[in-house]
Amino acid sequence: MCTPAQLQTIARPGEEETKAIARALKRSISRRSVLAGALAFSVAPIVSRVSALAATAMDFTEVAPGVFVHQGRYELQSPQNRGDMANASFIVGDDAIAVIDTLGSAKAGADLLAGIRAISDKPIRYVINSHMHPDHVLGNGAFKADGTVFVGHHKLARGLAARADTYLASSKAMLGDDAFAGSEIVLPTQAVEKRTTLDLGGRELVLEAQSVAHTDNDLIVTDAKTGTVFLGDLLFSGHVPTLDGSLRGWLSLIDQLERHAPARVVPGHGPHAMQLPAALGDEKRYWSTVAGDVRKLIAEGQTLSEATKTAGQSERGKWAMFDQYHVRNVTAAFAELEWE
Amino acid sequence: MHKHSSRPIYAIAAGAIAALTALSFSANADDDDIWPSLQKEVYGTRSIIENDGAVLIDAPERAEDPAVVPITIRVPPSVKGPLKSMALIIDKNPAPVAANITFGPAAGNGGGERRMTTRVRIDTYSYVRAVIETEDGALHMVKTFVKASGGCSAPAPKDADGETADLGRMQVRSFDPALASTPLREALIMIKHPNTNGMQMDPISRGYIPARFIKSIEVKRGDDLVFRAKTGISIAANPHFRFTYANDGDSALSVTAIDTEPTTFTGGNGAGRQAAAVSQ
Repeated sequence: MCTPAQLQTIARPGEEETKAIARALKRSISRRSVLAGALAFSVAPIVSRVSALAATAMDFTEVAPGVFVHQGRYELQSPQNRGDMANASFIVGDDAIAVIDTLGSAKAGADLLAGIRAISDKPIRYVINSHMHPDHVLGNGAFKADGTVFVGHHKLARGLAARADTYLASSKAMLGDDAFAGSEIVLPTQAVEKRTTLDLGGRELVLEAQSVAHTDNDLIVTDAKTGTVFLGDLLFSGHVPTLDGSLRGWLSLIDQLERHAPARVVPGHGPHAMQLPAALGDEKRYWSTVAGDVRKLIAEGQTLSEATKTAGQSERGKWAMFDQYHVRNVTAAFAELEWE
Repeated sequence: MHKHSSRPIYAIAAGAIAALTALSFSANADDDDIWPSLQKEVYGTRSIIENDGAVLIDAPERAEDPAVVPITIRVPPSVKGPLKSMALIIDKNPAPVAANITFGPAAGNGGGERRMTTRVRIDTYSYVRAVIETEDGALHMVKTFVKASGGCSAPAPKDADGETADLGRMQVRSFDPALASTPLREALIMIKHPNTNGMQMDPISRGYIPARFIKSIEVKRGDDLVFRAKTGISIAANPHFRFTYANDGDSALSVTAIDTEPTTFTGGNGAGRQAAAVSQ
């Protein structure tokens, strides 16, 4: 519903590539753990098992019948939040559950799983990752079980594999050894090429792969039964948006999304549920301001360093996490727009 | 000029990378100041005057994106006469010399602040140095500390499939100075090139993506050289140079860049030179 109507293409084309990446990643991880032996990486699995037993259930809000959303904090990863800084959701069908995003550590993932189990004991058939960022995928390990399929954009496996070392190292540094323990990269086992439908029993989820916007592997999930659309990090509210894809791509996707009126949308960072098109207003204003300011500076012959000091500063005070992400956003926007 | 280097200073040989990274990591932990040995490698026994104000450097204290760190080297108007050379060195990078630049007659003789801005990758917390050689043959240096990490191994492309599109496309702009009579004017050169440094991982093979980077850039005005730069893997993707040059005569520049393939890319801002040309 968010991309131009297409005939359904079931996502098998990416499967071979996904498997190749998974094999290669295994090789690399064993190589890395040999190198890192002195850093006592080897104790991690034991710690993780202990903590899984001690999981404390995350809280969920039921935003529509059978649709539950956990709201993450507006923070950077820390030992205290254990990577619980993004929204995570699950949908319950007659037969099975699908989870969308798993938070930023194995421990947060285990707490999420405990929260789901407090509500439903149906099997978790699908774990869907909305995109590659660590705060949405590093809890995947807590959901590894027989029969659970990990689903993502067809470019997710490549994006994650390329960044696996960086993500694990930086998350470990930010979370600390204890909160990070047991976290791993779990790649998708089913790839969404364009559009895929998943059946939970009397309930269908439609998954649509997007062009480059927030990242190059953004996926939009729609629960057809309630008209709930999970936008992942294509929608930020309250928390400043972050750019790791294409500013022009994102703005054009926002224009497309504004033409739809689903019952509700769920942001990747923000409240449990919001309404279109109002939900997109702040984000659209932020990116339009950044793009406008940066384009003007480029036309005037100003430099990237100057842009980082002035562009988009009218947005300061309107967002949480502005100081943490805004300069990086301007840098990425400048490097993209100077080639227009 | 660096024929006895034991450590590669512009680029590292593919295949030796994993070993080299591991070695330099442990070496850095024990021996924090690597400049003395680096200085010997690059400048031999020549003495270098530090912090005499002949050269200044601007860099962010903390790099928000370590794969795109803007650096500006400035030579104040008090320095007279033509510059012989300028080097940008990032101590802790795997190949520390980001660029070594020699100047020609069209670079100008001063009369205003001379500047060179580029963007680099910075792999870990490091000193970043600028060294210039003045007309009298003296070397002058300034350094600044930049907090950044992971710039070299960072999987840079945000749009992995868009990165190699338009390889070699060039933008060349010359900016008109506020006063027509001012001795220096400024220009900008941008080259669309992934500048892969051999340290980024191919997610499928888990091998390193082979290094392919711009290794030399020559900028001329007519027959006169503005500068010739020997560049290394520390230069960020889509190499970017903004610089002052003599404001006399025609502002039109022609640019020739050669990468490690070697493929030659040309561009310019003069009449009929708007489109970049690529030749093997």
